[in-house]
Amino acid sequence: MAKWWLLTAAAALWMACGYALVRSPAAERRAGPSPSIPTRIVSLAPNLTEILFALGLEPSIAGVTQDSDYPPAARDKPKVGTFWQPSIEAVIATRPDLVVTEAFEQQRDLARRLQRIGYRSLAINVETIAGLFDAIATIGAATGEEERAHALCADMRAEIDQLKAKTAAGPRLKVLWVVQREPLRVAGRNTFINEMIELAGGENAIGPTLHIYPAIGAEQVITARPDVIIEPAMLPGTVDQQRRQALAYWGRFENVPAVTAGRICIIDGDVVSRLSPRLPEGIRTVARCLRPDLFGE
Amino acid sequence: MQPLTPKILLFRTAVAALLLIAIMLACALVGSQDVSLRAVFRGPRDGATPSLDYEILMRVRIPRVLLAAMVGAALASSGVIFQALLRNPLADPYILGISSGAGLGAIIAVISGLSWTLWGRSPIAIFAFVGALGTVWLVWGIGRITGRHQVAGLLLAGVVVNAFFSAMIMFLVSIARGQQLYATIFWLMGNMTEEDLFVLWVGGGGILAGIVALFFLGPQLNIISVGHQDARSIGVSVERVELTAFAISAFITAVAVSLSGLIGFVGLIVPHAVRLLFGPDHRQLLPLSSLAGAMFLVVADTIARIVVAPAQLPVGVVTAMIGGPFFLFLLVRYSRRVYWPT
Repeated sequence: MAKWWLLTAAAALWMACGYALVRSPAAERRAGPSPSIPTRIVSLAPNLTEILFALGLEPSIAGVTQDSDYPPAARDKPKVGTFWQPSIEAVIATRPDLVVTEAFEQQRDLARRLQRIGYRSLAINVETIAGLFDAIATIGAATGEEERAHALCADMRAEIDQLKAKTAAGPRLKVLWVVQREPLRVAGRNTFINEMIELAGGENAIGPTLHIYPAIGAEQVITARPDVIIEPAMLPGTVDQQRRQALAYWGRFENVPAVTAGRICIIDGDVVSRLSPRLPEGIRTVARCLRPDLFGE
Repeated sequence: MQPLTPKILLFRTAVAALLLIAIMLACALVGSQDVSLRAVFRGPRDGATPSLDYEILMRVRIPRVLLAAMVGAALASSGVIFQALLRNPLADPYILGISSGAGLGAIIAVISGLSWTLWGRSPIAIFAFVGALGTVWLVWGIGRITGRHQVAGLLLAGVVVNAFFSAMIMFLVSIARGQQLYATIFWLMGNMTEEDLFVLWVGGGGILAGIVALFFLGPQLNIISVGHQDARSIGVSVERVELTAFAISAFITAVAVSLSGLIGFVGLIVPHAVRLLFGPDHRQLLPLSSLAGAMFLVVADTIARIVVAPAQLPVGVVTAMIGGPFFLFLLVRYSRRVYWPT
C-alpha cells in the first residue's frame, strides 16, 4: 500500500511545483513596445492578403499563405504554409510585428499560440458582406491606413449601389447556386453568396435550410423551379470543361425553367469565392448571368 | 526467451529511455527552419532583438516534441492495459468509445463557437476531456449491467456507443460551416501543436503518475490475462484490479486525446510490437511500450511537420502510414515465438 501513497504524494508535489514554478497563463509580452504602425505583416488568408494589397501595404507584407494568389504580386511573397495548415515556425521566421488571421477555430488557435510567444495578432471574422467592410476598416485602423480603408469601402459601396440600381427594375429571377454537382450541394440562404445573388437582382431558389450549403435531391431542384443555374468553376482554366459537363448533367431536368431556357451559367470561381475587395466584380459577374441584356450581351 | 529479472528490466528500460531522449533531441533540431544550436546557447536575446533560433527551438519545437512524447506514452501504455483486460488483440485505447466521445465533445465546442480559454487552452480540449471520460463511464456502466459476460458486454457496448456517437459527429459535421468543418477534421486526425509549459507540466505529471500506477498493477495483470478463475483462486481481487486499471488508462487516454486530438494506431500497434519483440510480461511490457510509443509518436510527428513543409500533415495520417507496414513486418518476422492474449 505504501507505494500507492508515495505515488499520490509525488504527483501532488509535482502539480504544486508546477503551479509555483511555471504557471504562466497570461500571455507574456515581448519586451519593448511594438511599433504602432506595423512594418512586417503576415496574412494567413487569401482574402486578407487582397485587403492588405488594396490598402497599398505591399511593401509591409512579410509573408502570406500558399493559397494567396491575387494580386499576382502576392505569389512572390514568402510562404508560411497553407490557409488550413499554417506553420508557426515559418510565421516566426518572417519576424512579423502583426499577424492577420481569420477568426475561426483553426486560425484563432494559431493567433493564440503566437500571442503566447509574444507576437501581435489580429483575428478578423469575414463571413458576410458587412463583415468584409468591418474587416477593411479594422485592418486599416491597425496599420495606420484608415483613410485609404475608408476610401476603399466608399468606392466598393458606390460600385455595388450602382449595380443594385441597375438590376433593381425587372423581375427577380430565382437562382440555384451549385457548389458541387455529385452529390448536389447548393448555396443556402445563410451565406454571402446569397447576399451577392440578391444584390445582383436575383433571389435564392432554395428557401431557408438547416444546412449552410445543403445537399439537395432531384425533387427539390424541380420544385425550386430556378430560372438560372450558376456554377462557379473552382479550378482556374476549367470553365469550358465544366460547361460541357454541366450541360450534359442538367439536360435531364427537362421541366426546370433554367434548363429549357438554356440559362446555365458557368463563371470563374475566383471572383465569387472570396470576400475580398474584388466583391463588386463578383456581383457584376453574377448580375451578367441574371440580366445579360443590361450589360449589352 | 530468458526469464525477466529486475536487472534485465532496469537495463532495457534505461536503454529505451536514453534512446527516447536522443530521438527527441534529434527531432527537435529538424524542421522547416534551420536552427543553429550555437545561436540557441547564446540565450533568448541576440543583442537587442529576441533570438529567432532560440524562439523556434525553445518555444515551438521542444514543447511540441515533449507533447508528442507524452501522448505517445499515454496511448501505448493504455493500449497495453486495454488489450490485457479485454483479452482481445484488437483492443486499443479507443475501443470503449473514448475517441467518439472526445470527438463529439470537440465538435460541439467548435460548432458552438465558444471563445473563452482556460490556461491558454481553447474549450475544445476541455469538452473533449469531459466527453471522453463521460463515454467511458457510460460504457463501463453498461458493461457492469451485462454482468457475467462482462468482457463481451463491454466490447459490444463500446462498439455501439462508438457507432452512435460517430453518427452524431457525422450529423454535426454535415451542418457545420466549411471553416468549422476543417477545424474538426484536423482535430479528428490528430492535431499536434506546441503547448503552454504549464499545460505540459500538469498533463505530463498526470500521464507519468498514471503509467507508474499501471506498472504497480503489472503482476496482477499478468495473472488476470491468464484467466479470471485462476486469478481468483490465487487471491487476486480481479474486479478491483480491473476497475483501477480501466479508470487509470481511461484517464491518461482522455488527457492525451484532449491535448492532441485523435491519433490512431499508436495504442494498437506499439504494445503488439513490443510484445512481439520482448514477450508478454506486463512488468516489462508497460514501461517499454510507453517509451516505444513516445519514440514512435515523436518520429511520426516530426515527419508530419517536415514532409510537406511549410504546411503540415495531420499526425494520424503518418502514424497509420508508417506504423501499418512496420507492424506487418514485425508480425511476419516474429509471430512464431509469441504468446497472444486471447
